[in-house]
Amino acid sequence: MKVSLFVTCLIDLFYTNAGKATVELLERLGCEVDFPEAQTCCGQPAYNSGYVKEAKEAMKQMMRAFAHADYVVTPSGSCAAMVKEYPHLFHGDPEWEEEAKQLAAKTYELTQFLVDVLKVEDVGASLHGRATYHTSCHMTRLLGVKEAPLCLLKNVKGLELVPLPNAHQCCGFGGTFSVKMGPISEQMVDEKIAHIEEVDADYLIGADCGCLMNIGGRIERLGKPIRVMHIAEVLNQRK
Amino acid sequence: MPMKIENGPFWKRVEENLHNDFMRGAVAGMQDRGYVRRLGVIEELGHWEEWRSLAEQIRKHTLENLDFYLMQLSENVAKRGGHVFFAQTAEEANDYIRRVALEKQAKKIVKSKSMVTEEINLNPVLEAIGCQVVETDLGEYILQIDDHDPPSHIVGPALHKNKEQIRDVFQRKLGYTKSSDPVELARHAREMLRRDYLTADIGITGCNFAIAESGSITLVTNEGNADLVTALPKTQITVMGMERIVPTFEEMEVLVSMLTRSAVGQKLTSYITVLTGPRDEGDADGPEEFHLVIVDNGRSSILGTEFQPVLQCIRCAACVNVCPVYRHIGGHSYGSIYSGPIGAVLSPLLGGYDDYKELPYASSLCAACTEACPVKIPLHELLIKHRQIIVEREGKAPAAEKLAMKAFRLGTASPSLYRFGTKLAPSAFAPFAEDGRITKGPGPLKAWTERREFPAPSKERFRDWFQTRQKGGNPS
Amino acid sequence: MTRGTIQNRDAFLQTIAERLGRSPRLSGVSRPQWDYAPQWTVFAGYSQDDLLAVLREQCKLIHTDYIETTNAGLAGVLKQQVTAYGGGPVIVPDDPRFAEYGLSALLRDEWPAEQTTVHIWNPALGRQNIDAAEQANVGIAFSDITLAESGTVVLFSRNEQGRAIHFLPKTYIAIVPKSTVVPRMTQAAAIIHEQIEKGVLIPSCINFITGPSNSADIEMNLVVGVHGPMKAAYIVVTDR
Repeated sequence: MKVSLFVTCLIDLFYTNAGKATVELLERLGCEVDFPEAQTCCGQPAYNSGYVKEAKEAMKQMMRAFAHADYVVTPSGSCAAMVKEYPHLFHGDPEWEEEAKQLAAKTYELTQFLVDVLKVEDVGASLHGRATYHTSCHMTRLLGVKEAPLCLLKNVKGLELVPLPNAHQCCGFGGTFSVKMGPISEQMVDEKIAHIEEVDADYLIGADCGCLMNIGGRIERLGKPIRVMHIAEVLNQRK
Repeated sequence: MPMKIENGPFWKRVEENLHNDFMRGAVAGMQDRGYVRRLGVIEELGHWEEWRSLAEQIRKHTLENLDFYLMQLSENVAKRGGHVFFAQTAEEANDYIRRVALEKQAKKIVKSKSMVTEEINLNPVLEAIGCQVVETDLGEYILQIDDHDPPSHIVGPALHKNKEQIRDVFQRKLGYTKSSDPVELARHAREMLRRDYLTADIGITGCNFAIAESGSITLVTNEGNADLVTALPKTQITVMGMERIVPTFEEMEVLVSMLTRSAVGQKLTSYITVLTGPRDEGDADGPEEFHLVIVDNGRSSILGTEFQPVLQCIRCAACVNVCPVYRHIGGHSYGSIYSGPIGAVLSPLLGGYDDYKELPYASSLCAACTEACPVKIPLHELLIKHRQIIVEREGKAPAAEKLAMKAFRLGTASPSLYRFGTKLAPSAFAPFAEDGRITKGPGPLKAWTERREFPAPSKERFRDWFQTRQKGGNPS
Repeated sequence: MTRGTIQNRDAFLQTIAERLGRSPRLSGVSRPQWDYAPQWTVFAGYSQDDLLAVLREQCKLIHTDYIETTNAGLAGVLKQQVTAYGGGPVIVPDDPRFAEYGLSALLRDEWPAEQTTVHIWNPALGRQNIDAAEQANVGIAFSDITLAESGTVVLFSRNEQGRAIHFLPKTYIAIVPKSTVVPRMTQAAAIIHEQIEKGVLIPSCINFITGPSNSADIEMNLVVGVHGPMKAAYIVVTDR
């Protein structure tokens, strides 16, 4: 199965390990992974801030870069959700509407791809420790992927997965919200960290680097002993 | 008070409210309990998504044919002897109501909860002609006595007040001598307001849903105050936002079910009352005269725009109850009687961007509001639309941000520019990075690093790693 | 009924039509067939006994006393419940059902004999009815339609049944014939809608009452008994 990786700007620059883990994981599961060089960004940062024209230029580049892909897989729930919006945003555009529909139809978030397309729930991973999973807002509410990450994590040998209290509450990232509305964002991420501490988790696992950067960055600043991992890294862990 | 509740800057309000521990505890508690309760009644009901789709369809159809249904409503009210006044502006509505009050030589007026009457700022107009206006909804009553403290939640307006504060207010203003036990406080309010109901000249209500087919208005309460406001005084005036209407009783019952579950997690509230015209001939109670004031006040300017879905709102506050931002900043931070996500979308539309330009940005776009809305208003998408307007039409975005976004466009539209730019990143950030993280960031990173560490760009980009690997080189 | 006045309608509706990008639509609109009808699936196929069971359970959640009796036992049960609520004064509508259900003796003889005042709503007495309701300890009325799902009694106002009966007394008792119970508001709304379509004039006040009055406006603590009655009971007559 040929899979084209959409690595996302955050992982490309800052969280390369999550990207590497994604590739290794997919290859081990029998996929042939390619990386279209022309990919840039899904357009979220500009779109969510109201810069729709600018965002659409990035979106067109995405459509060009992945025009020949069979499957587009990305280790980011919010980026996949953004791509799913392309048909709506390019509705009525004679040049791009069809491209947008095609790209949206073949794009998957990583765990969604593993469970729904590859039909795999046990990837043979192993990680010892007590962990809790952060359900990113865009991945659950906009993309609708709720069960897949948990199915996969439940089968990680040695991992004690505990539910996160008030999991439905936003961590306070929201892209530019985290800096434009800093004091409010801070209260939200502090509450999120308090809930992680409530369940004594050693690991905080997530599928969205924006959230992980936000929660992880604050955890580090506060000096808390919680290790933040992207789900791709967890699923790629072996003995 | 009018829609706008304060004149100060947004950030001043937010900072103050972030330090209001009682309010934050009250809001968080309300949200947490409400979350469980709401999910419980939804599960019990079953087919919730079908209910939402039905409710959305009813609201959309009604808005698309709003002139027809208002026509039908007004004809049916008049047939039953009621008087209808169409008010395009707040001033017109207030003028009409003042004239009725003067004509009736009204001294005392009792009111049940009505956000639209707050929006048009009705009470001072009546007080100016010598009427005593008494709010009878317990929450509104408490706020009114406390020198018109503004509401902080559209359904539970006194959420920000603790029982000790309420006891103190009752002591100061009503000669109350008992404790802060909510039962005793409520009994005192009951006694005080009893006399007011029985001696009032006019009862003023809002309208949860007007029913076009019969010229009726529907009032939804738990306290029974709206029933006393309408059963006892000789004159009734009902004020409605023009979009608060349904075609028939059958749509009313669907939307009432959505309202009560979404607002307070109840199958039905204690009192749902459908009133049609003044009293029937030969009745011994009920008003002798009925007036319906239908208010536009900026709602028509929302019709025909991408914001039209916001008029589907049934004022349940489900969005407010799930909003993580509201959770921390409380209702007063929004500066409007309409707070939370619905307030952030509606206030700039009714009140302009000058007063409310921060509100659309006071959101992480988590979409909890969109998910909770019983009539499927895409609230988070409308917030993005506001941002787009602020950037493109209003030109109110900060210059540095506009520049950064221009760079974004160039960088992401051109793969070679992107490759070049990201290649530069590690060296550009090198001076600020230590141990793989940035603690005191430059420029745009500064706001981030005030509160969090920021990861330093990896020395090797993912795409470089991938390329090396493809060529058979050593993957790191 | 003298027709009421309508002011400023034309310009108002014209504005709406303009904003919607078309000419005014003042007639000829009918409701579409809605795409979904989940409200009709609630308790579909339930028997009257099934619905009573639902009603019984619901009353526990809405702080409402629930008592079952046959018609033969109704007078006794009603007397007992009023005593439990603290006795009179009592206010009732002028409703033939009180006689039909064998309550005449209680209202006209027994209660007055033991100094429990009974006021029967009489439109000719005007405001005195309201005073009687204000002084009443118990208001009693027959439920016209009863909604099982929410534990709701539906009352239609009439000259002889004033609104104040349901709101001013300290406590409230609804007599619920089993035959009046329907699954939920959907059925009641359909009945009323059908009447309207036939041209029947609905009463000026229709109340859907669910238990006693309450509020959660003080620290979100539920307080039962605010402006309306502080206690409520439903007496279900199982053989009518």
